[in-house]
Amino acid sequence: MRSGYVAMALVVIAALLPLVFVSVVPVDVPRALRELGKYYVLNTIKDSASPEAVAAVVWDYRGLDTIYETVVLYLAIVGGLAIFRISREVAKRAIIGLTVLTQTATKVIALLIATISSAIALHGHLTPGGGFPGGSALAITSMLIVPVFSVYSLLERGITSTRLIAVRGLALTALGLVALLPVIRGLEIVTNQRFYPAGLGPFVISGSISMYNLFEFFAVASGFTAVAIYLSIPEELYRAELGVGGA
Amino acid sequence: MILPLLIIAVSALLSLVFVYMAITEKDLLKAVAFSAGQSICYAILLQVMAAPDIAMTYIAVSVGLYSAILLFTISKTERYEEVGK
Repeated sequence: MRSGYVAMALVVIAALLPLVFVSVVPVDVPRALRELGKYYVLNTIKDSASPEAVAAVVWDYRGLDTIYETVVLYLAIVGGLAIFRISREVAKRAIIGLTVLTQTATKVIALLIATISSAIALHGHLTPGGGFPGGSALAITSMLIVPVFSVYSLLERGITSTRLIAVRGLALTALGLVALLPVIRGLEIVTNQRFYPAGLGPFVISGSISMYNLFEFFAVASGFTAVAIYLSIPEELYRAELGVGGA
Repeated sequence: MILPLLIIAVSALLSLVFVYMAITEKDLLKAVAFSAGQSICYAILLQVMAAPDIAMTYIAVSVGLYSAILLFTISKTERYEEVGK
């Protein structure tokens, strides 16, 4: 690990270089907004009723692109499921997890992550965040649960990858419906403010942005949980399925 | 004004070190850990550059999901890269 120390020393030296540079040459960071940025800062709240410009760009200004991205990810996960599919039921085994200490700690952490991820997703139209980061954060709970409590603890509760793909399909259908509904009134697809209300009672929902975030949250979380489950099915099952190797 | 520059410089260089260690490491589990370290450096960069949305997604995907999926994959193969080939 000698090279590691050398590298660390180099990092410290190189980090001091900008300090020297800035003290010799006056650096001025440009603070003026460019025209495009100015447009979004001034008009986002009017165009999409969302104070969060990034959410407005992702789900409103370029909403159709984001919906296509979601579909691409959906197809990737379905493809993975097709490769890793097994025809037989996963035989139930004794649930062997890690120690009680690890399991209790994981329970607490999983609860915390689930709370934070739903906050990220449901506040996505007001603060930084959104459906995709929230959903990926929620999927991390299942990635923690699988090694600590074993995959059978999930399967025993009826959480199978096929069902999760079904949940994902439903969430994506709802997402597509939200995008398509404005067409009924003769508006273009993925219309936000001219069709959906900006608020619901005392809550700011920013039209369709919060709905998209909610459905994307479920879609991404269930999709990645399905990946975790089918990646953790033991290799012996596949060998038995293919009839190769003395498993 | 100096502090953001300093943070950017340190985390960018630290990420380079992590990348080097991840590539040369023969123990794949450690390599995944170094890769996650590199991702944390990038997340710090994104946060300093005032892109919290991207930083959030980046942490969830590249530190959490990516490392977890790689660990699952390593559990299906072998832990050590073969030396001397």
